[in-house]
Amino acid sequence: MTTTNTAVPATDAVADSRATRLLLAALRVGVGLLWIENAGWKTPPDFNSLRGYTQNAVDYPVFAPFTWVVEHVVLPNFTVFAWMTLLVEASLGAFLLIGLATRLWAVIGIAQSLAIMMSVLNAPNEWEWSFYLMIFAHVALFATAAGRCYGLDGVLRPTWRRSRGRLSSVLLRLS
Amino acid sequence: MTSNPFDRAALTLGAVGVVSPVFALSTSSNNNFVLVRDASLVVLVILGACAVIGGATALRPLVLVAGAGYAVATVLQLVQFGRSTNWLNGNGSTFALLLGLAVGLLVVGLSSREHPASDHPADPASTERWVPLPAATATATAGVARMTEV
Repeated sequence: MTTTNTAVPATDAVADSRATRLLLAALRVGVGLLWIENAGWKTPPDFNSLRGYTQNAVDYPVFAPFTWVVEHVVLPNFTVFAWMTLLVEASLGAFLLIGLATRLWAVIGIAQSLAIMMSVLNAPNEWEWSFYLMIFAHVALFATAAGRCYGLDGVLRPTWRRSRGRLSSVLLRLS
Repeated sequence: MTSNPFDRAALTLGAVGVVSPVFALSTSSNNNFVLVRDASLVVLVILGACAVIGGATALRPLVLVAGAGYAVATVLQLVQFGRSTNWLNGNGSTFALLLGLAVGLLVVGLSSREHPASDHPADPASTERWVPLPAATATATAGVARMTEV
């Protein structure tokens, strides 16, 4: 009796090519810049522009439960939610730019894109596919773990893998 | 030039700070990516240069100084923007850029460097993902090995 091993390549040449990794890094940085730029017009202490877009969720409802939450929870406590929005979006930009905990931030990006979509999807002069594209871009970042391509995740994961600390194991999962 | 991935990361992050004045070239009031002007421009470039030098010469304290400097600037920008006193003259986008550089440089500067290696197999510095050949072969073929009886 003889045994023949038919091996499948451990890695895909295209997926591991330098060009692919560079393009994934470009996607990650580009999506990071999207959030960075959009943190720019959310200005405390009044957040007037953001208040207008948030009001759209009530004036042009997309999803009734979300509209109810915006009307009865978000708008009465708008300053708190506006600061949260600013901090989340600035952090999205910052962490996607440097590629740290990228999968976590990709999921947060999907959630934030959904919230934006449900606020303004039916508002006048909005292009609905911009929100779908935002969601798909973050799905791509998550699926490809894009922080491992020229991002800090790629630099730090070997260290996290060797560490026995709980934080390291968490970061391994989030990157 | 250093081959240590941590130092290269610090160098790259510093380079981002050094070249960030390119955002000031935007002529649009709407699409300028990051608001970089006046004092924020100076802070970004000087601290970025510190990080570049720290990365290029493997001087970890210099990387940490740059990261700490960016962290101070981040807090300052967060506290002041939208107010009449805004020393860095930036906005939320400036805050986000500073935050990224601060976190990145501090994480790189504070991380253990006992076994520096990239996580990607295409990176020649990697010692992590490529396991010794027999083990690698076993792993790669474990699910697809086919026994053929002759």
